[in-house]
Amino acid sequence: MFTSRGVGKSFGPVQVLRDVELDIEPGEIVGLVGPNGSGKTTLLNCLSGFLNPDVGSIEYDGARLDRLADWQVSRLGVRRTFQTAAQPMKMSVLEAMLCGASLPIGSAPVRGLFRRSARAREQAGAVTKALELLDFLSLGHMVEEPAGRLSGGQKKLLSLGVALMTDPEVLLLDEPTAGVNPTLRLTIADRLKDINARGTTLLVIEHDMGFIGRMCGRVYVLDKGSVIASCRPDELKDNPRVVEAYLGAPRPAHLTTGAPRP
Amino acid sequence: MLDFSLYVATIAAVYALFALSLNLQVGVTGLLNFGHVAFFGVGAYASGIVALNGGSWVVGVLVGVVAASLLGVAIGALGRTLAADYWAIVTLAVAECLRLIVVNESDVTGGPQGISGIAGPFVGVSGLGGDIAWLLLCVVLAGLAYLIAETLTGMQFGRVLRLIREEPMLAASLGHNITREKMRVLAVAAPIAAVGGSVYTLYISYIGPNQLLPIETFLVFTMLIIGGMGNNRGAVLGALVIQLIYAGSRFLKDIFPIPDQSASSIRLLIVGLVLVAFLMTRPEGLFAEKLRRIDVHQ
Repeated sequence: MFTSRGVGKSFGPVQVLRDVELDIEPGEIVGLVGPNGSGKTTLLNCLSGFLNPDVGSIEYDGARLDRLADWQVSRLGVRRTFQTAAQPMKMSVLEAMLCGASLPIGSAPVRGLFRRSARAREQAGAVTKALELLDFLSLGHMVEEPAGRLSGGQKKLLSLGVALMTDPEVLLLDEPTAGVNPTLRLTIADRLKDINARGTTLLVIEHDMGFIGRMCGRVYVLDKGSVIASCRPDELKDNPRVVEAYLGAPRPAHLTTGAPRP
Repeated sequence: MLDFSLYVATIAAVYALFALSLNLQVGVTGLLNFGHVAFFGVGAYASGIVALNGGSWVVGVLVGVVAASLLGVAIGALGRTLAADYWAIVTLAVAECLRLIVVNESDVTGGPQGISGIAGPFVGVSGLGGDIAWLLLCVVLAGLAYLIAETLTGMQFGRVLRLIREEPMLAASLGHNITREKMRVLAVAAPIAAVGGSVYTLYISYIGPNQLLPIETFLVFTMLIIGGMGNNRGAVLGALVIQLIYAGSRFLKDIFPIPDQSASSIRLLIVGLVLVAFLMTRPEGLFAEKLRRIDVHQ
């Protein structure tokens, strides 16, 4: 349902993505790993419309995404989060959540100005949904706090919540647990599994291989802009290219056991 | 003294219209419009030119509102390809072009002399009655503009604008078309300033190109900085404060030996000093932008 064919992207002389082929089926949780600078975020930017690839096509549900703008991709039901989960300082957590909702009357300056009660009814529905999601994400006690003042991990959770306000069919997540303490990391993993169980397809960029192993059915490995492997997470350590590019070779025995140097 | 006080209050209410309009652009959306005076000018000259051609003041105001809105959309559309800082410079250029057109197209605009003797709504009412009528009209307009600006800021439309100001990437990722939202806020904010320009022109029955100088835009910026950027109450209060400084400085020459011709420079000097004092000690202004409470139980 979500495919990329021959996707390439260069920034000046630097080729960041080359011939990337990707297939994601509905309901999957797919991991995307690779060393720093391998093009993971650039690929996610291409998939979400924040960048248009130089060559190749990206399709979702029969629609071509590779020439659409970021906001158009989002409206088709493909939403993303960012590596640094920035949130507005001058908005409460609840208001930030409402930004993710679709409120056609309140968004129209003239119609919204005159149709006060219809606007209020529309917003009340979104508020109920936002409060449920905040409870689900363990942010129920933060409703009135400024969104920009939350901790890094809480901002990651809030970004998830904001993205979920329209029940997207696909979520593209850029390091949802980076810089988050282990307990909260488990919470985020659990919530992502719940979100997936409710029918949302997930593509997750992540460096924590334990996280990838627990969450993902399949994982793509990117190195220097190319897909070098696509397999189950437990197959990664047996793939010599992945070991060389990303996981690193197993330590020689004398370093781990204190055996005499050969 | 009474008619002077009425004059000061009336002009303060007109300034409130300019400030509320600019606040929607700069304070709420983060659009640095350095050519805000163009919207005032469109409203003012629409009223002047329509009056010059024998049209009613009502027609003048309506023409100004529509023209300013269209100009707003056009300026907003430039943001599709221009980064925010370049856009700011272009707005300044647009306003200056407008002023130069006004200076040179003497047949239509009266050129450097401007247009005088413009008839407003209270022609038959003279003296104190007329002054009070003007004050009431301007205060009602400012109140209406406040309600519109505050409602727009609080509803989803304004919420998205505030998100665009703070986190544009996040806004785009949530399906909000940033260029379109910028065009829409300019389309609704510009007419508020245009009404201010029309009312000002009808009130003093004169408009000239010197009222379209860039300093007018920066005076409105000063109002927002003093009142509180992003806060509609602050915009109104800032307009009042600046107008009081302007009016009060007239009496300085009664106390200090100031030559008449330096009075206007000293006025600007005081505004400048107040601005610096605010930026250093209270950068958020008199009314800081607050978190908006969302009614949870409806």
